[in-house]
Amino acid sequence: MSVVIDGQHLKCSDIHEIAHGSSASLGDHTHEQMSANAASMPPGPSILEEKRHWLVGGFASDLTPDELCKTFIIGHCAGVGEPLPKSLVRATMAARANVLATATTGCRPIAAEVLVDMLNQDVVPTVPSQGSVGAAGDLAPLAHIARVACGYADRPDSIVDYRPNPKEALALINGVSMTAALGAVAVVRLRRVLDSAIAATAMTMEAVAAGAGCIDDRVLTARNHPGGIEVGRRIRDWLEGSSQVLYENGADAFSIRSAPAVMGTLVEELSCTETILEREINGSGDNPLLIDGVWLEGGNFHGAPIAQALDSVKIALTQLATVSERRTFRLTYGQLSRGLPSFLVRGTGLNSGFMLTQYTAASLASECKGLAHPASVDTIPTVQHHEDHVSMGPIAARTLLEMVECVADIVGIEVLLAAQALDLRVRGIAFDGEGEALDASPITLAPKIETLHRRVRKRIPYWSDDDVLHPCLKAAGTLVRSGEFIGDPQPW
Amino acid sequence: MTTPLVIDGTSLCIADVVDVARSGRAVVLSESARAKMADSYAWVQYATTQDQPVYGVNTGFGSLARVKIDTAHSSQLSLNLLRSHAAGVGPILPVAETRAMMLLRANALAKGASGCRPLLVDTIIQMLEANVTPVVPSQGSCGSSGDLAPLAHLGLVLADGDHGRVRYQNREMTAAEGMAAAGIPRLIMEAKDGLAITNGAQLTTAIGALALHDAISLVEAAELAAAMSIEALRGTSRAFAKSVHALRPYAGAVATAGNLRKLLNGSDLVDSMPEKLQDAYSLRCTPQVLGACRDAIRYAVDQISIELNAATDNPLIILDEEGDNKAFSAGMFHGEPVGIPLDVLKIAISEVANLSERRLYRLTTGSLSQRLPPALASKDRPELGMMVPQTTAAALVSENKALGWPASMDSIPTCEDQEDHVAMSTTAARRAARVVKNARLVIAIETLGAVRALQFRREEDSELGLGAGTAVGLELASAVLDSLPDDSTPGQQIEALSAWIASGAHAGTVAGLERIA
Repeated sequence: MSVVIDGQHLKCSDIHEIAHGSSASLGDHTHEQMSANAASMPPGPSILEEKRHWLVGGFASDLTPDELCKTFIIGHCAGVGEPLPKSLVRATMAARANVLATATTGCRPIAAEVLVDMLNQDVVPTVPSQGSVGAAGDLAPLAHIARVACGYADRPDSIVDYRPNPKEALALINGVSMTAALGAVAVVRLRRVLDSAIAATAMTMEAVAAGAGCIDDRVLTARNHPGGIEVGRRIRDWLEGSSQVLYENGADAFSIRSAPAVMGTLVEELSCTETILEREINGSGDNPLLIDGVWLEGGNFHGAPIAQALDSVKIALTQLATVSERRTFRLTYGQLSRGLPSFLVRGTGLNSGFMLTQYTAASLASECKGLAHPASVDTIPTVQHHEDHVSMGPIAARTLLEMVECVADIVGIEVLLAAQALDLRVRGIAFDGEGEALDASPITLAPKIETLHRRVRKRIPYWSDDDVLHPCLKAAGTLVRSGEFIGDPQPW
Repeated sequence: MTTPLVIDGTSLCIADVVDVARSGRAVVLSESARAKMADSYAWVQYATTQDQPVYGVNTGFGSLARVKIDTAHSSQLSLNLLRSHAAGVGPILPVAETRAMMLLRANALAKGASGCRPLLVDTIIQMLEANVTPVVPSQGSCGSSGDLAPLAHLGLVLADGDHGRVRYQNREMTAAEGMAAAGIPRLIMEAKDGLAITNGAQLTTAIGALALHDAISLVEAAELAAAMSIEALRGTSRAFAKSVHALRPYAGAVATAGNLRKLLNGSDLVDSMPEKLQDAYSLRCTPQVLGACRDAIRYAVDQISIELNAATDNPLIILDEEGDNKAFSAGMFHGEPVGIPLDVLKIAISEVANLSERRLYRLTTGSLSQRLPPALASKDRPELGMMVPQTTAAALVSENKALGWPASMDSIPTCEDQEDHVAMSTTAARRAARVVKNARLVIAIETLGAVRALQFRREEDSELGLGAGTAVGLELASAVLDSLPDDSTPGQQIEALSAWIASGAHAGTVAGLERIA
């Protein structure tokens, strides 16, 4: 299936599909609409030509439009640092093509077609990941893409031949399409991490015989935060038929009892951010715009709307990281886990079991606290007083992606430990707070919890005596990232 | 050929770490350290025959110290520690950092307070020699009780068995395969070996030592770039006068002011505008800001240098102490003493870059640059000049602000509340390395701007005399840029200058510059 780029309907999930290799095509009417928009261009010089003296000094009048475009694009290739992964460059190309497809930028259809052509032939430029301040757009990263699109750098002859006019040279780079694309991919990954965290919470609750009151719909509805209500509903769904999670078990610690409240914030942030990102992706993030045959100068390239949304997600995500880590702590803590052995192994002492697993989660949760620092609170004047307030949105997007990796591993750790705890319950292995063995009857898992448990055990064996821990952690993180744990395998 | 580095647990310095980690300098264990290690090893062997509980020798680990273990299982206990502690996630640690961590652990053991055999250190040294490095995930250490997980991955390679992975001859393989190919015998773990290998913040310190080396070099590059910018902006040297700085005698500021005077000595451009009494802060306050950074880095160097030669194990075996029990359980593994300085390093280096970015803004802003061309765009060919690189610099310094968040300020209880305060020093170290890298790119961008600016000044007046140091700096940096293809992008020019700074080739443009030692 080819993803349709029509400047109106591109979703975060579409961007993610293109990132992972889906082909793209312009919408049925996009060519026509872009042609009409380009044809409405009033006579006279475009903005780039008007600003040419400011841009390239005394040579301006000697330059042909071709030379002007090339000078402009090459001059913006000032990105540095590690290259963006190929999938994220593809996502960025798709997002930029969709902005051009809004048919408000004055570009001819070929400007979008060349990007689509590159996507479909998998010609993916090398784009350094650092150096954009997210206003006036992701200039440097997009220029590294435009350099190839416009044929200013080596590229296969099979890509449609393209020489931009001055307005197109500007439109190819003048918006926060990299920030939006990275945000879109992050949102898709995050949904999977959140779904996994909800399932993991249900497993933990079953393992520690949690009280059922905290996920009761009446309780959550009485407070009426939609995120909390949804998390509660989904935990209840996983726990359907549980013989362990009962009202009479009473009140648990906050990491369990308040899980719907804490994790619900991410549900709401994600949905809000996805809406904002999709507006941006389908919006005219360019300047100037050509509307009703008139050039209108605005500031649509400024990344503020998505920068702040992405920063907000980072805060909610940190809450998920820290609350999952605390449940991990409880699972490994003999006196806090309602009869589970210290570090979830028998023969502790000679065995350290899952001691270090919790350290790993703690370290990652701590990393998130630093990464959550909002990029958008900063701004630094750039370009000779002209671009005197910038968004730092691309930094927000890149750190969000980095945090998603941390949290995928944190949730993987909870999954790993909850599965081990359930195994111990199923085997009737229990201890008191002092480590003395207790008589305990083996439990039967709730059906959907058993399904989750089986998915873990398909990849990671039960831990009896100390073995090398890292492969288990890696496999657990992979279960979350791959979607296998929640039964919905997808590329990351 | 450089002489091998002799390690004895007392004399390792940051430069040695760089030599071994990045340049493959050979290492040997000193004979006196060997003897000391043998003595402490003998005591642990004796302790295993006694009833007295010794942490980690005949007890479990962490909160499991409450559990007694039969000494018949000491070897298994060590091996299990390594296996269960080999946690961590994320990207694999680069080879240089891994080698530095190995060297640091070997040196800590050479102190002779860990009760392990010299053979353990000899084996690490052989691995360094053959360049067999453990595969270590870079994330997941709390820095207390040390960098347990990363060091356990080293332990898995040392310990005989079908565990552990290495990189050898640019390939990843099992430890068994790699060590056999390199001809290095693996060891049967003995009592306390597991603890001796893992208990200490050596990964924090390894990354920190390399980052500090780069930071020191970066300050030198920042002073050169500052001098070049000040010169190009026709700055005023009175703000750097010796007598001025004697009145507020911070060591760092005095050093920076002195270096600026040396670099700018003889310049026709400096003080060429008598009507201008004082410059903007990014020029005038360079000694105050870079000086404060120097002082902060100095503190970090002092702390890291202590840690490089510290015994960080628990328990420590101290044979000089009276009494039968020579094992002292303490908290020497805690990463805080290195975590805080590395967080401070991040602040200092962020400021080095912040100041640089503002000078660059002046260089590229027509109304602030004493008649340099707008954006420093060439007069010979059409180009945007430094318009976008200044934006790149702004993005990089902004990125450092989040990385600057102090990791060591955080703590999360671990290990059933036994390890209820941890350092998070490893995160501080990893972030410090990133801050240094970002800052180096910023200084590279300022250098690029300053080169262009000085070239313009030269075009205006070919007879123009530049400063003693800045003239050399201009020549060196121009040569780097001239070596690039004609159609190089600004990004490529920045990366080339950053690599030039990383190589240290910018150093010593004029005699007598004061360096952070």
